[in-house]
Amino acid sequence: MTDTAIRVVVVDDHAIFRSGLKADLDADLVVVGEAATVEEAIDAVSSTRPDVVLLDVHLPGGRGHGGREVIAGCAALLPETKFLALSVSDAAEDVVSVIRAGARGYVTKSISGAEISDAVRRVAGGDAVFSPRLAGFVLDAFGTGDVAVEDELDKLSARELEVMRLIARGYSYKEVAKTLFISIKTVESHVSAVLRKLQLSSRHELTRWAADRRLL
Amino acid sequence: MAATMYRSQDRIIAGVCAGLAAHLGLGVAVVRGLMVAAGFLFGAGVLFYAWLWLFVPMEGEAGAASLASDGGPRLRLFRPAPVAVPGVAVPGSRDVPGSPAGSVVRAPRRGVGEVLVGAGLLLVAGAIMSQSFGLNLPFGTIVPLAVIAGGAFLAWMQLDQTRRTGLLNAAKADTPMALLRLFGGLALVVAGVLVVVNGTGSWNLLWPSVLASLAVLAGVGLVLAPWVLKFWREFQAERAGRIRETERAEIAAHLHDSVLQTLALIQRRAANPQDVTRLARAQERELREWIYQDAGRNAGKLVARIKEVCAEVEDLYGQAVDVVAVGDADLADKGQALVQAVREAVLNGVRHGGTAVSVYVEAGPGGVDVFVKDRGPGFDAAVVPADRLGVRESVIGRMRRFGGLAEIISSPDGTEVRLHLPATDDDE
Repeated sequence: MTDTAIRVVVVDDHAIFRSGLKADLDADLVVVGEAATVEEAIDAVSSTRPDVVLLDVHLPGGRGHGGREVIAGCAALLPETKFLALSVSDAAEDVVSVIRAGARGYVTKSISGAEISDAVRRVAGGDAVFSPRLAGFVLDAFGTGDVAVEDELDKLSARELEVMRLIARGYSYKEVAKTLFISIKTVESHVSAVLRKLQLSSRHELTRWAADRRLL
Repeated sequence: MAATMYRSQDRIIAGVCAGLAAHLGLGVAVVRGLMVAAGFLFGAGVLFYAWLWLFVPMEGEAGAASLASDGGPRLRLFRPAPVAVPGVAVPGSRDVPGSPAGSVVRAPRRGVGEVLVGAGLLLVAGAIMSQSFGLNLPFGTIVPLAVIAGGAFLAWMQLDQTRRTGLLNAAKADTPMALLRLFGGLALVVAGVLVVVNGTGSWNLLWPSVLASLAVLAGVGLVLAPWVLKFWREFQAERAGRIRETERAEIAAHLHDSVLQTLALIQRRAANPQDVTRLARAQERELREWIYQDAGRNAGKLVARIKEVCAEVEDLYGQAVDVVAVGDADLADKGQALVQAVREAVLNGVRHGGTAVSVYVEAGPGGVDVFVKDRGPGFDAAVVPADRLGVRESVIGRMRRFGGLAEIISSPDGTEVRLHLPATDDDE
């Protein structure tokens, strides 16, 4: 990671939450813009081109799709600008829909300032950020057993399953690495692979799982 | 003496006598006896009975009760969640959302058939006896009247049945038995009326008249059908609106009782961050539960119970306990033991770890795994004194007794309790 500051845009419809978050973020994270609605967010992100967007899942404006719509509106910037979803909701439909729209991670709003700064840095570095709950959703969606599927996208490898399980159990990446005797970099690459599968897989079970929860 | 009279659920025919007894403060048997006796005074008792039957509402029929039973699982949410008692096995949330009336109805109706048949035989016997004493009874009038009365009785019985289960529960009227009763009653009444109108008391002209009247009825029905349909739709719409209104009122009441109260409390306790956190956390959990439980997932299942005990510990100690669950299982006896072991492990983590605790539950075909992790200073499981029952007995011992496994891994970075309960054939 470079030693230059990471530029962040904070998108949330509550001003109190935005200012609280700004105060909480570490010094090497610079907030270059704020937005409260879908339209403002797309404008702010397009004009400032930040490294990371901290994005609330539920936002007023637009066509009512909240965070998902912001990511779709900024699709052109996507590889450079990373989105980290923030929400009070931990319902599967909110979490998974915003991840499938392209967010690189998901954290709940009750997370501490240090943890969120850490998550922002990780996302800026190209990694994915999984909360225990998101890992739980992934395990739920892909299944924890060994299933035979044709497309590799539709299945978690044994190692990825292990990593997801440990994250769901509340392990940090460092602890996961230590437990599995692998490097943190390897853990990060596993998590990124899982994120990619979650975004791209069209697996039957995943579709059904999503449909059950009215995600589609 | 009750202020308003209701027909009772404890009934032989329509609960009139029992209701009247409750209303007057007399014994049920006395009222029933009087009613039967009055029946022999030129049928005064029967008429009075029928009159009360028509105009006195059924107990629990009005408003709230029937709405709640009709609203089903959604309205069930508005009731407070069952409170978990520490150490006591609560048998899931087994309360069936069925109507309160539905479960009571069946029992007291035994013997109704016998009573009715007996009464009928008595009447017939009385008629024959009076004939033999020289009284000339006009059977040509009595028989059709009896047929009409019988038909009306059958049909009203049906109407009453649907009213009892709540007018709103229209589905009940679709059962074949109910239809049979309704149409049987109608046919009897029509036949009786026709015979009376013929004036001859003869059954010879019955068939042509039945056909003619049926044709007339069909014609009228055809003409009236659109209106009936329209009224039915309006009734349905109004009913839906009323249900929505009730729901809205329930939501408002819920928010008032929960969120607003908590916000007020938080303002008053603003100086004490720990109290504020605890209040906010408990309220958040309660609200979340309330919002997302809608889909009816997990009800009465293992995961729901584990979440319940974790919430309880969270309230007790004001320390966050996050539960992540994958899959779910039924709550058998062994499941109860597992839940208790989890509770003990979480308690331990919160008490000695002093940090947030993560709980991960994975239920699959092979069994259930639960991991309870805290980030406290950790302890050496080998040097825990023998008299410390908490972990040794409540977690390890309990799991072993039910054929499971418990493992405690502790390091300076925290402690993790791993529980495994294999699946068996008997608890699918």
